Amino acid sequence: MSEATPILKLRNIKRRFMLGETHIDALNSIDLDIHAGEFLAVWGPSGSGKSTLMNIIGLIDSPTAGTVNFDGQDTHALADDALTEFRSQKLGFVFQNFNLVPVLSALENVMLPLQIQGVAEAEASKRAAAALVDVGLERFVNSLPDKLSGGQRQRVAIARALVVNPKLVIADEPTANLDSENSRMVVDLMREMNRARKVTFVFTTHDPRLLDHVDRKILLRDGNIVSDEVMA
Amino acid sequence: MKNLFKLALRGLMRNRRRSMVTLLAIAFGFAAIALFAGYTHNVYDGLGRQSIHGEMLGHLTIYKKGMRTEGKLDPEKYLLTAAEVTEVKTLVQGEAQVSLVAPRLGMSGLASNGRSSTIFIAEGIEPDAVAKIRAGALTEEERDSGMFDNMRMRLDSARPDVVGLSEGLAELLHLKEGDQAQVLVNTLSGQANASDITLGSSFNTGNAGSNDKFAFVSLSLAQSLLDAEGRADRLTVLLDDVEQTEPMREVLLKKLSAAGYEVEIKTWQELSDFYTQVHGMFDMIFGFIFSIVITVVIMSVANSMGMTVVERTREIGTLRAIGLKRSGVIKLFTLESMLLTLIGCVTGLLIALGVRWGINVANISYTPPNSASAVPLLVDMDTGRIIFTFIMMGVVGTLAAYMPARRAAKKDIIDALGHV
Repeated sequence: MSEATPILKLRNIKRRFMLGETHIDALNSIDLDIHAGEFLAVWGPSGSGKSTLMNIIGLIDSPTAGTVNFDGQDTHALADDALTEFRSQKLGFVFQNFNLVPVLSALENVMLPLQIQGVAEAEASKRAAAALVDVGLERFVNSLPDKLSGGQRQRVAIARALVVNPKLVIADEPTANLDSENSRMVVDLMREMNRARKVTFVFTTHDPRLLDHVDRKILLRDGNIVSDEVMA
Repeated sequence: MKNLFKLALRGLMRNRRRSMVTLLAIAFGFAAIALFAGYTHNVYDGLGRQSIHGEMLGHLTIYKKGMRTEGKLDPEKYLLTAAEVTEVKTLVQGEAQVSLVAPRLGMSGLASNGRSSTIFIAEGIEPDAVAKIRAGALTEEERDSGMFDNMRMRLDSARPDVVGLSEGLAELLHLKEGDQAQVLVNTLSGQANASDITLGSSFNTGNAGSNDKFAFVSLSLAQSLLDAEGRADRLTVLLDDVEQTEPMREVLLKKLSAAGYEVEIKTWQELSDFYTQVHGMFDMIFGFIFSIVITVVIMSVANSMGMTVVERTREIGTLRAIGLKRSGVIKLFTLESMLLTLIGCVTGLLIALGVRWGINVANISYTPPNSASAVPLLVDMDTGRIIFTFIMMGVVGTLAAYMPARRAAKKDIIDALGHV
């Protein structure tokens, strides 16, 4: 693990969900630092709090208690619009179900976050096309998502996450809907991007075979970090 | 944002059947409004021409002040004198936009064929003025249709005894063109006065209530019968352009007032009760239809957008996660709704144009209530109301999507992403 200042610092993070009269503590006093350039996996059984942790890291959920400091910014202090803009510039997302807009082509899907940022169409198109080349989909720029295989869709989603040059890419179960070959391909691609472009990746999985490729793996159980291993 | 526009447009294609149903509801609603507005425009136009030229109200009518109230009981006092007629006529004709000033004199009495008698109401007017005022009564299509041949009333400037009788009156007296009859009226001083008349032509007043008693006579005959040499109860003013009616009233009022004449000037709308009543009734029906269509548009768009928001919940979550602000989500769905409404309006306009063409070439006629003859069913293009409807529907359609769009924007990102 790098000794440099972490890009993300979680301190004493708790997340409680109310279910009528009862409650569920999804995360219990989590402390976590993530450094630039890491390729980190969060793993554990279902219900261990992986997705809740990813949502908090991805700034799309707020902790019940504790602080989230991202790139020197206390995110709790940001109002909704500012937080959205912050997310747009610093984070990339890869979802389990790909979450591509079905009526937009692969290129247009990748252009979307840039255009939300206000990047001009020509520039957005150029950068999106380059991102698709990086993930090996240059032949599919004009294809609609339903014409692509699961693996190809997830590669489009990775290109969409990377096109804004984010500080951190969050991938929640990116291989859950893929067969083993495509799962391996997607993880390899993320790893390649991590190495080539020094992009920090945090992803969740419950497939232990994918953990061989990571720099660091965090085992979560019942909302607690059980182990935090840095791989040799 | 161009991409938001693209996203909105393609969003409409996602559930084509639903978009099509909503679009058709908007299109048929718009077409119904455009066609009804076009029909009423044609009716207003026809009634306007009928009032100005057919009933010969002209655009403006100048009375001595009080003529329309006290003058009914004491006409002698409120008639314009021969000198006043000449001077006022000269002043009014001095305005470039005035094409004709015609003195008029009304009278009533009994008409008889020697065997039977009936009441009549007559308007005395110079025969040459009749031709000039009547010139704009019919459009080319109406003239070609032959339906209005009976409106061609003529007087003869060389023969003051030649009169035009309404068809019902001529029929009651069993008179044909060239037949003679007698009229009996009271002079201004209350003496009985009679004269022979010759039926020059008969005409249809267009109104069942007046078609058996109305007559046009030459001004000189009316002045002679009433013993009111050179006098008139009003001056009818014909303008080059109907749009100048109101401005010219102001101009003439100032001019005549400055010259020392106490007059009142009425527009043709003010004098034509029928026009005003029909206009009011059709405006109310238009408002009613417009309200129904707008309600249908609001309900259709709100329902369609509500369902769209539910179906695209996960997409909303994704867009929010990757940086689209709440306001952006609202923009996206209101833009989608606005596009749907505008495409619906354009489709509606095309439907309206097609139906309008079909109606206008079908040569359909109908007899309006209280009318003595059939009129052609024609539909105009009421550009003003079409633009108004276009804007209103666009605004209403967009606003109808606001609530579902706001609901979409308020969705929690986690919940939205987890939506199945």
